[in-house]
Amino acid sequence: MFEIRVHGLGGQGAVTLVNWVAQAGYAVDEHVQAFPFFGAERRGAPVKAFVRIDDNPINLRSQVYRPDLLVIMSSDLTGMAIADGLTPDGKVLLNAGPELAERLAARFSREMLYLDATGIALELGLEFDGMPMVNLPLLGAMTRLSGAAPLDVVLGIVREVAGRRGNVEAYESAVRQGWEGIQVVEAGMSAPVSEGATDYDLSRSGVTPIEP
Amino acid sequence: MRVLESGNHLIALAANVAGVEVVPAYPITPQTQVIEMIADLIAEGKMDAEYIPVESEHSACAALVSASLTGVRAFSATSAHGLAYMHEMLHYAAGIRVPVVMVNVNRALGPGWNIWCDHQDSISQRDTGWLQVYVASHQEAVDTVIQAYRITEDHRVLMPLMLNMDAFVLSHTYMDADVPGREEVEAYLPPYRPLWKLDPRLPMTHGSVVYPVDFSETRQSMQIGQDNARQVVYEAADEFMRAFGRRHGDMVDGYKLEDAEHLIVAMGSLAAESRVAVDEMRAAGRAVGLLRVRFFRPFPIDELRSLCSGRSGLMVIDRDFSYGMEGALFSEVKAALYGHADVPSTNLIVGLGGRDVTYEQIREAADRAFRGEADEVTWGDSHITKAHEITREMLAEFDKLLSP
Repeated sequence: MFEIRVHGLGGQGAVTLVNWVAQAGYAVDEHVQAFPFFGAERRGAPVKAFVRIDDNPINLRSQVYRPDLLVIMSSDLTGMAIADGLTPDGKVLLNAGPELAERLAARFSREMLYLDATGIALELGLEFDGMPMVNLPLLGAMTRLSGAAPLDVVLGIVREVAGRRGNVEAYESAVRQGWEGIQVVEAGMSAPVSEGATDYDLSRSGVTPIEP
Repeated sequence: MRVLESGNHLIALAANVAGVEVVPAYPITPQTQVIEMIADLIAEGKMDAEYIPVESEHSACAALVSASLTGVRAFSATSAHGLAYMHEMLHYAAGIRVPVVMVNVNRALGPGWNIWCDHQDSISQRDTGWLQVYVASHQEAVDTVIQAYRITEDHRVLMPLMLNMDAFVLSHTYMDADVPGREEVEAYLPPYRPLWKLDPRLPMTHGSVVYPVDFSETRQSMQIGQDNARQVVYEAADEFMRAFGRRHGDMVDGYKLEDAEHLIVAMGSLAAESRVAVDEMRAAGRAVGLLRVRFFRPFPIDELRSLCSGRSGLMVIDRDFSYGMEGALFSEVKAALYGHADVPSTNLIVGLGGRDVTYEQIREAADRAFRGEADEVTWGDSHITKAHEITREMLAEFDKLLSP
């Protein structure tokens, strides 16, 4: 069984993302399960979502506490996401550029995979309700890392949605860039940043910071 | 057709292939997706049914009963406070003997306000006369909607059926399942043929005053319907197996029971999670099995007596609580066994209000219980701390406020 936990912010498309990953696995005859944890359903609130993929029917109904792959859609959530648990050799995939990924790899003293999903989505002009569609590049990266399905199957999943919105090329490009663009940064590449530094430029993501 | 869908959407698809003709319903989280999809299917011309958007759950159940009395197959869905609001009409549906099916997406009752899963809502309707079944998987949800009409419409039964499905864990989780085609289903479940119906060509009144001289008879006849359902549940499961090649148990569903010394007893999705706990305990050389109570009404009295007899111990998991007593399933299991099978039993209360329950928790609790170290009733995941208490400072503030 391959288990994935996704941490994102409400509005980033985490729930759609896990459903797409499950659809990809399902398309190649795997048994799949995808579900969110529904907390406060509002934009900007932390959201968790889960995927299980297995050759056999799945009996587990609980949340995923030791994922093989931990996906962090917004780097603000890195500490919370890692604290929620991971397998010892589990992979962490960050939505971040190289500098931020290096800082976080140093701060959390662990190897991290990263992908600038926000950058890819913005470059392709892919926004939904004013938010960059980071879930498209992440879908490519997650299906590759989980071995859920080959790239052509994954592209087939988004083609239908993209067709309805008349944006097939951009969607496919985003997924392909995610599939091909996974980078790795080893633990301890640079000095830890000071506590309280802002890792993520919220204005760029379109997320309105929540008042304390 | 195999599909990847949420439990709620699978229920809607199953209601369609089951040939449902009238759907009165009122939306409530976490049931809303069921009736949204049914409304969509009807609007798109993919479902030949009448959708009645009512103004409350009380009216939803009233319309459900009325539709059925005109001789059509009627369906509804609700949850938690919606089900509670129907309470009076639930008695009505059972008392007037309509063969309707309603899905209840199991959700906690507030306050404290909570949209997540537990079984308090349906357990609170235990004595309304409805048949109650609890499903543990997406496939079972689909197949049980289809079987439900076979059971409730059987002229030996004619009692309404409540299909209980855990909120979010099943309702909002996407999993793969097979939804059989309408024609395939029709061979198993022919169109509804009522025993009688309300019809202006032959005017009559049904459900009016019954004097004390006849009342007990109406009540005993309801119990005869419930008792008859035991046999019909088996027939429906057997014939479904022959038609579709799938069986999810009947009154109960056993897992690794054969040589088991100890049994976990559970309902709903916690029983699916418990399978993984049983697998782990078996791998560690422990003779543990799982008895999933599928039908809570009628209660599987004979099955429990024969399957629990001779075991060294039971751990009954409740996702509900009967205040002032213990978990409701625990009470019922003991009542069924009393005088027939003397098995030491303990009760684990977990998963209230959507608290996540893992197989590790179940395994650890079962290990303790089967070593004889558990209390009679254990609140397995409740940890009351100072943070849950009203502070002295806050009470002092109130004292000032309330003093003249």
